[in-house]
Order: sequence, then C-alpha cells, then structure tokens
Amino acid sequence: MYRFLRLSVLLVGLIAAVGSVAVHAAQPLTTADDLGPVVDQPIEFPHDRHAGDAAKGGMQINCMYCHTYARRSNVAGIPPLQKCIGCHRSIESVRETPRIKKLFEYWEAKKPVPWKKVHDLPDFVRFNHERHIQRFVFAQEKPVQEACGYCHGDIKTMTVARRQKPLSMGWCVSCHQKDHPVSATSTKTTHGPNDCWQCHK
Amino acid sequence: MSITNLLQNWSDFRQQHPSDERPHQEYKWAMSIDLDLCTGCNACSVACYAENNLPAVGKEKFSHGHSHHWLRIERYWHNEDREYADQGAQFLPMMCQQCEAAPCETVCPVGATNHTADGLNSQVYNRCVGSRYCNANCPYKARYFNWYDYPTTADVWPAPMEQQLNPDVTVRGKGVMEKCTFCVQRLTVAKSNARTEGRSVQDGEVQTACQQACPTGAISFGNLIDPESRVAKQWEKQQVKLNHDKQAKDAVHDGDKLRGYRILENLRTYPSVMYLEQLREGAI
Amino acid sequence: MIENSFNRRDFLKVLGWGGATVALSGCGNTSVEDGREYVTSYVETADYIIPSIGTYFNSTCAQCDAGCGIMGRVREGRVLKLEGNPDSPINSGKMCGLGQAGVQAHYNPDRVREPLLRNGDKGEAITWEKALQLVNEKVASANPGSVAFLTGGVSGHVKVLLKNYLDAIGSDRHYVYEAVAPSVVRAANKKAYGVEMPRLRLDRAKVVVSFGADFLGTWVSPVHFSRQYAKFRKGVNGERGVLVQVESKMTITGANADRWLAIRPGTEGILALGLINALIAAGLTVPAEVAAAVKDYTLDRVSNDTGVSVEHIGKLTALLKDRSPSLVIAGGAAEGYAHGSQNAAAVALLNQVLGNVGKTVEAPASMPFPQMAPITGNRSSLQALNDSIAKDEVKVLFNCGANPVYSAPASMNMKESLKKVPFKVAFAHYMDETAMEADLVLPLNSSMEDWGTVVPEYFAEGAQLNIQQPLMEKLHPGTLGMGDVLLALLKQRRPAEYNGYEDYYAYLKNAMVAIKGALGGENEDDDVFWDSVLSQGVVKLTSSSNALVSSASAAGLQLPPPAAEDGTYPLRLIPAVTPNMRDGRHANEPWLQESPDPLTTIVWDSWVEMHPKTAAKLGVVEGDIVEVASKNGAIKGQVYVFSGIHPDVISVPLGYGHEAMGRYSKGVGANAFKILDPVFDQQTGELAMYETRVKVTKAGKRVIVVKDEGPAGGNQSGRRIALRMASGKVNLAEEV
Repeated sequence: MYRFLRLSVLLVGLIAAVGSVAVHAAQPLTTADDLGPVVDQPIEFPHDRHAGDAAKGGMQINCMYCHTYARRSNVAGIPPLQKCIGCHRSIESVRETPRIKKLFEYWEAKKPVPWKKVHDLPDFVRFNHERHIQRFVFAQEKPVQEACGYCHGDIKTMTVARRQKPLSMGWCVSCHQKDHPVSATSTKTTHGPNDCWQCHK
Repeated sequence: MSITNLLQNWSDFRQQHPSDERPHQEYKWAMSIDLDLCTGCNACSVACYAENNLPAVGKEKFSHGHSHHWLRIERYWHNEDREYADQGAQFLPMMCQQCEAAPCETVCPVGATNHTADGLNSQVYNRCVGSRYCNANCPYKARYFNWYDYPTTADVWPAPMEQQLNPDVTVRGKGVMEKCTFCVQRLTVAKSNARTEGRSVQDGEVQTACQQACPTGAISFGNLIDPESRVAKQWEKQQVKLNHDKQAKDAVHDGDKLRGYRILENLRTYPSVMYLEQLREGAI
Repeated sequence: MIENSFNRRDFLKVLGWGGATVALSGCGNTSVEDGREYVTSYVETADYIIPSIGTYFNSTCAQCDAGCGIMGRVREGRVLKLEGNPDSPINSGKMCGLGQAGVQAHYNPDRVREPLLRNGDKGEAITWEKALQLVNEKVASANPGSVAFLTGGVSGHVKVLLKNYLDAIGSDRHYVYEAVAPSVVRAANKKAYGVEMPRLRLDRAKVVVSFGADFLGTWVSPVHFSRQYAKFRKGVNGERGVLVQVESKMTITGANADRWLAIRPGTEGILALGLINALIAAGLTVPAEVAAAVKDYTLDRVSNDTGVSVEHIGKLTALLKDRSPSLVIAGGAAEGYAHGSQNAAAVALLNQVLGNVGKTVEAPASMPFPQMAPITGNRSSLQALNDSIAKDEVKVLFNCGANPVYSAPASMNMKESLKKVPFKVAFAHYMDETAMEADLVLPLNSSMEDWGTVVPEYFAEGAQLNIQQPLMEKLHPGTLGMGDVLLALLKQRRPAEYNGYEDYYAYLKNAMVAIKGALGGENEDDDVFWDSVLSQGVVKLTSSSNALVSSASAAGLQLPPPAAEDGTYPLRLIPAVTPNMRDGRHANEPWLQESPDPLTTIVWDSWVEMHPKTAAKLGVVEGDIVEVASKNGAIKGQVYVFSGIHPDVISVPLGYGHEAMGRYSKGVGANAFKILDPVFDQQTGELAMYETRVKVTKAGKRVIVVKDEGPAGGNQSGRRIALRMASGKVNLAEEV
C-alpha cells in the first residue's frame, strides 16, 4: 500500500511539475530595450553628426549611403575607408580635427580602420538584411531611419553605435509573430520564421 | 512541453508531406541520380566535404564506424559467385533522402529535425541533444553524429586550414547529429535573390555542391513543382510519384522499361531522391 | 563572375584585409564582449566585392596535369571552395575530387613557409635575398654544363623562363620526370598516328575497348573523358555505348565496364592481334600484310595465352564488327611490360584496322606557341640524370615538381646518388623526401596564390591557354612563385633584359599583351584585353590540325609469348594508380586520404589486393599482414581479397608510404614504388611498371581493414538498393 502511495505521489508530482513547466514555458516576449556593452571604436565616429536631423546640426545622410550592402546582402557592412575620404577630402572645415586627422593617417598608410563589432549574432544564425530592407524600405516604403531603427535603435542620438535591442531569438520571433503566430512546439510544415532552417544554419 | 501539446502534435508527427491541407507551394527540392552515369569517382563526396565543413576524422575514428561523410558512395557487386567481378561494380551515391514522411522526424525527443516548407528535412543543431534516435530510425543510415568535438581535435583543422571553412554553414561541435542538407545555404541565397527580383528560382540557377562537381553530370537537382525543371521532367518521365509508396508503373509489365526507382520505397518514407537503374549491355 | 575591369593593385587590395592576417574568431561562439568578433573592414573596394557574398575568380587547377579550369569562391579575402569553370572545354564546369582538394593543398599546415638552408641535419630559415645570392654564387662558380634542372611537366611562361635561364647560364640539362606517365603509349601513338596524344572521341564511339586505360579515373584527362563518357552512355539516338575493359587488375574504369575481362598479365597485345584475326574471319577487310601477321593468332591459341574465354572473344569480335565507329585504346596495363611498346602497337593496329582513325581518333589541335607547349616527363630522363650524377657531371641540381627520392625504384638509389651532388636546391611546397635531401629549400606559392599560364598536354577541342591567377593574397609571406624565382635568377644573369620587369606578374602581363593579336584581342586596349583574359580564365587559341597520318601496318610487331612463371617470385605486382593518390603528391591532403578507394573502399592505408584463389593458395584472409618481396625490396601490407584481379597478380596502390612530407602522409601505408624491378620497355627505355615479380608471405598479426563498405560488405542481401537492368530494355532516346 505504501508502495502504491509513493508511486501516486511521484506521478502526481511529476504531472504537476510538467504542468507548471508548461505554464512557464511560454515566456513573455519582449521588445523592450536591452543595452549592449559600450564598444570603444578606434575613431569615435559621430552618427549624430552624419545621420542626425538638420535642426540639430546633422547632415541627415541616409543609413544606406554608408552601410550600402544592407539592401543586397546578408550584412549591412561597414563602409570602406574610401567612402569616408570621398567626402572628407573636400571638407576643409574639419580637416585638422583630431578624429579626421586620424582618419587620414589610416588612409595615407592604406590600413583599414580596425572597427569593432557592435551587433553580433552567433555563428549558427543566418540573418539576412536584404530581405528586411526589401520589405520595409522598398515594399512598404518606410523611411530608412525608421526601418533600421526597429532593430538598431535611434542611431542618430549616438556617436558610436551601441546595441539597443536584445537581438535574441525570442525578440526576433516577437516581430515575426505579429501577423502569423509562431508555435514553439509545432512540427508542422512551416513557412518563414516557423522554418528553423530559415535562420539556423 | 505539456501533455496537451504532445497529444496535439502526435497526430501531426506521422503525417506525410505534402498533404491536401499543406501542399508544397513554391518549391519542393528533389534530386535524381543516374546510376548508369555514376562512375564512383567520389568527386561529389569530396565537394561535399569542402562545402559543408566536414571534418576528416582519420583512420582510428573511421575504424570505429565514425566515418563522417554526408554523401557516401556505396559500392555493390553483382558477382553471383562468378570467378571475376566481370560486370563491374555498382556505385550508389547515398545521402539524406529528405523523406516526405521521414522516420527521423517523428522520433526526435526535442524536435530538432522538422520538415521545411520547401520539402527538406531540417536539422537544427541548437535543439539537438544527441539522443541519436534519428539515425537509429533512418533506414538509409544517412545521418552522422559528432562523437568528438572536431573543431578542437588535433589535426582536423590545424591552422591555417580553418580558413577554408564555409561561413555559411555551422561548424558543428560535439554531441549533435548532422546530415546532408541539399546545400540549404545555397538554396537560401538563391531564393533570396529570386525574391528580391520578384520571381521564383529558375532551373539550373542553384546547384548543390555534389551536382556541380559530378564530372559525368549524373546528379540532377531542382524544384519538383516547376514543370520545366529537369528533375520534374525526369520524375514525370519515369512515372515516379513523390507521395506514392508503390508506383503504378511497377505493377504494369511495360513498367520495367522505366529505370527510375526510389530506394526502400516500401518502407513508406517517400524519399525525394530518385535513382535511375544502371544498365549493362547484353551483347557482351 | 567578374564583369568589370580592374587593375592588379585594386585586385589584391580588394581581396581584403590581409589574407594572412585575417584573424578568425574561434570555432566556438564568441561574442562582442570577448573582443574576438571582427567586422570586415576595407580601405578601398571594388563594387563587385560585397561582404558575405562570394565572388568567383577563374584560374587553373594544378592538382594533376589535365589543366581543368576552376572558379574559386572567394569571400572576405580567402578562397573557400573550388568549382569548375564552365568555359573551359576540358572540364566544362566539372571537377574531380583531386581538384576539390586543391584548397587543402593551399591551406596545408605542413607547407614550407620560408627558405631553409641546411646546417647539418637541420634547416635554418634565411631570407630570399640570401638564398638567391647563394644560388647565384653556386651557379657562377660551377661549370655551366654541370648545372641541371629536374622538373615535372612544364608548360606556359614558366617553361619559357626556365629555358631562358638555362640558356643564360649555358646549360642544356633539363630533365623532365614523371613517376606515372603514359610514356609508352605516347611513343606508340607517335608511331601509329604521328602524334603523341591524338584527340579521342569517346562521345562518338559506339563501343570503347580499353586495354587498361583508366580514362575515368587517372588517365590523361579524367574529367574530360568523364564528360565524354556521359555522352557516350546516352548514345546517339538512344543507342547506348558499350564499354569493355581488358586488364589484369580492375580500375575504376573497369568497374564501370559492361564487361570486364581479366587478362593474363602482358598478353594484351596477343588479344588485340587475336581480335584482328577473328575480325578478318568475320569479314573485315585488312591489308594483306596485317592479315599475314595475325594469321597465327587463332581463337584457341589466344584464349589459351590470355585466359579470356573463346566465348568472350567471339562476343567482342561481333560487337566490334557490328557497331562502328568504335575506339580501342591502350593504357597503363598494356604498356607496363618489357614489350609494352609492342602491346601498345598491337592495340593501335586493332584501332586502325577497325577504321576508327578520323572518326573516333582525330588529330589534336596544334599549339600555335610551341615554346609554351608542355614538355612531358618520363623515367628515362631521370635515368639520364642519375647516370650523369654517377659520372660526377652534375654540381648544382635544381628540383621542382618532382619527388624522385620517393618515387624512383630502390634500384636507382636516388638518395645515395643525390649525395654526390654538391649543391642541391629544392623548390617545394612540402618537406617531401627529395626536399629533405636538399641543401637549400625554397618554398613555393600554392597554385591558389600564383600567376601563371598552363598549356595542357591533352587538348579537349582546340588549343587553349589556361590562366592561373591568385585567388587570394599569399598565406605565408615567405613563399614565392616559380615564375618570380626564375625571373629573379634571370635578373642575375641578364639584367638588361629582365630588370625592366618588377615581378613575374609584370612579365606575364607584358608577354600576353605582346601576343594579344593571336589571342583574339588585336583591337582591344591592353588593359581591357588583359582583364578579359583573367576574367575568362581560359584563352581559346586559333590553331590548325593536320589530318592524322595512319597506315595500319604490322611491320616490326613482335609479341613474346606469355611469360613463364618464376618459381621464387610466383606472382606479379601491379602498382596501381588510384584516383586519389596518383603518384603520391597529394598524400598530405586529408580529404583524399579519407576518400575511400572506389574499388576497395579502403581509407588511410595501402593494401595488398589479391584474388580469392591467390589468397587461398597463400592461406591468407582479409586483414592478414603480408610481406610483398621482390628482388629489390620488400614492403608490408594488409590483404584485401577481391575478385577484380587476375589470380596471377597482386596489386598494391601507389602514393602511400611517405617518410616525410607532412602529418597526414608520413607513415601511412607502404611505398610500392621502391620495390619495382629495373625492367624496361625495350623500345622506349621506360620503366616497365608491371614487370615486377614478387613473392608474398604472411608476416604479421591480422588487422581489421578500415574501409567504407558498410556492414554488408558490398552485398545488397536481396534488398533492392542498387538496381541494374539490361540496356536492351530501355529506350534512352525517350529519357529526358
């Protein structure tokens, strides 16, 4: 009899545990900000000066002028040095400032600027900028800064970039879920973000 | 994973794809391999190593049965006790057949292997816990397990060999299963390019690594849904239907003139790879 | 592929942020916090270089001598994978496994990275400047006639520079050595057809009878012949081509034959003449002189001599009579005997009387630039060098692309012989056996890092000039291309002529632009022409070809009877050339060691292949360690029992048994080259590779043979896995 009791308690406990786990399994998906670490760059590049509003002294340069590969590649890319020099060789007013001087030192030496990575995804993740830019900027005609800002935050308030969003799988899925529900345990034939192989290499 | 979920999904597990509720929509990747053209040269196998970051495991691990080639060339003899193997050998490239009713998909305890919308059997390394039940269930034994952490094993990728690794394919660590993916990394790129241009992937636009290397062109690969694709035409000509486990042509006397067949079809796996029988001349 | 033009400085710059200095994040998952994640940062970039998208650059494969065109997929400044160049008529976009392993030759951890000067038993690193200075001193102080170059096959502009350098120093000692080469067949072809390598049209033949020519695996241009083979099997109007392979040990081509005929070793010529005789009886018209020469080769006699049944000879005769055109070729198996030239001549005669010349045997295109046409190698050349060394005639020896200490038979005593040469320079990728004997080792660029031109021996269609361009920056700053080295050496001798060239690239571009008229670019701007040449990777040359001279004649044909058995050495050794190992130059590429041998599926080791009857006689089973001993040495290996081999022979694959070279090759398997008997083809003096007599004795514990057969051992056990049907049942013309 005691054996039976023990067994029942065990089973009940097990089911309760499984049940409670099931309750906690559906974790809240967040779109809240999650600041990444401060990353010091070799040159403290002022996004605010370049991309910022004219009212605040910015030049309102389109993100994709520099991060030009976003519309046609997996990665948005860091502009090659020639892009910076392309403008700055004619901007006398800032030619002797410390950051620009450093920039030209790299250029003279033909050395690439050793920019550090700010937005990183694990090596087993496949993220395609092209598809997102094609949808938001070209198909849905959202303004570029808004589209880039969904994931990268309001860059024009920063000098060097700093990660603003979690960039976690759950966070990505939360956006993909807006129109089509994503089921964490479904093994059905899937489309888009339900298809593990879309993002996992 | 609650009981409700399990019960709900159980009926989905053994469901065959495609079905009327969920037909293939834009793509269904399939392959056909002409065994009369395959010379057994192993070019496809080496190309797969190059494309998919496969480790060369070395003699000792090979002797333990831990060979690690997603695409292997099986070699069979038809000697029938003759003095010599005088009709040569049969070479059969064997890789994951991307079965529509994959026996591996149903037994993964953590759902690491699923079916994608374009008809591939996906393997997600992140979910895999290494139960190895999937390979136990696979009738083709087309799945391979990482018994060791090859990236940190000596002489697998000694510097500077790691620079050859393909960044589009994960480098697998210890404890996960892996298998042929029909070069999904190439398919994703092709589909993305096509989508940007507002069209579908054309036949011949994307090739798997094995197909691209094969010197005799024995491997055809493409979209079975596209009626103009070579692969679709071959399946059509050979009267092999994807979602049948017995082909109508096999029941007919004339059907033996068609040399297309699928391996272990009677197990109802509905593989996506069709093979064309090897031929031998009767006059000699 | 590239559509825009670009110049070389941009080219190398855009290849990236220092190929050698790209530090990759670890194979694990690193994060921003680790500081080990990098972004690709460029200084200047061309607009076709898009991060994360591969760019393809055309070049030429150097893994064997076929000269297939390749495309390298390059991402972030490094080459990742090779594909075939669809524009090359040789391989039409396809690649073999050997070619795929080219990236492993490039990224190999055991490559020599800087010049090494011998100091006792060690090699000390020195600068190129010092090395070249030393070379200059040694060459200057030596008698011009005592400076020698030993190379593998050479062609293109490197051949031109080499010749110029030899002229400049006043030497004509250029020895070209290939360990495995169809030299006897080349000579026989010259006699029969007037050219060494006629153009073969397998795709036009209805029947191919190959006497040991492994054209799908290792012979001459396997990828090209595989392309033709695919068409051959599809046939014209659905009439599938029939392949018959006649050899003593099954090659991969034999494994694909409709009928594989095991033949007593050395009797290929007898079978060929017997077939002519049988064809005459079946109604074929041949010149009277030929008929007279073959009249004694009756069915019974031939069957007795060769071991091929009367039934099969009859069927083969009928096949050749009924289906025309056919193609009969001779390869390694036929030519490897003291009477190899006779065998090859008999086979060529069969081809001629069948009327195949002009149909499936055509004149090859001629190379309009003979100075760049390839010099092919043979063993007699090495013998000549060895003889000169013995007479103390060689004081300075340069070695590039040959490994004689490894591949020459022990009877040549290469290692001892080389000790007599006071100063030896080895241009090498690895510290292979020959480099280990050198006084100065100069490290070469891999073919993925080098500029060059290559002219293949076997032209697929018309003449072509293959271009080699770097697919990335040099991995190791201390290596140089052979062209650069020769240019530096030439600057020492003829400064006025060569100082104007900054480097080999400049020389090559200049030389190509100078002949742009003949290369189809007469109206083009120099730079535009050069860029289009690089972009295509292959330059098709306009050339003529004279009709093949071919008169079927049996004059001088004299075949010996089948060889008698030797009591002490009852078996013959066939040193097999396998598709992966070839002559052993790629033994240090792990993909190739791991790629199973197609016939035996053995990996990472060599083996001793024998027929079940032979195994029974010797009392051995699979896995027994046996010693294979010839008069000139002995090696050990694991037994593999196989019914694709004649009972009178055993076979050991070549390419294994390295004692140096690298971590993947050292100590793997046994070196069959060493025990070959010094028997030579009577006409060409080539080493008769199949004449070695051996005895086999049990020598050790049984091992488990590591192979990829699967648990069923190549048996389907009644399951319908690999199916086969009679070709008569299928209408191939109706297939897609």
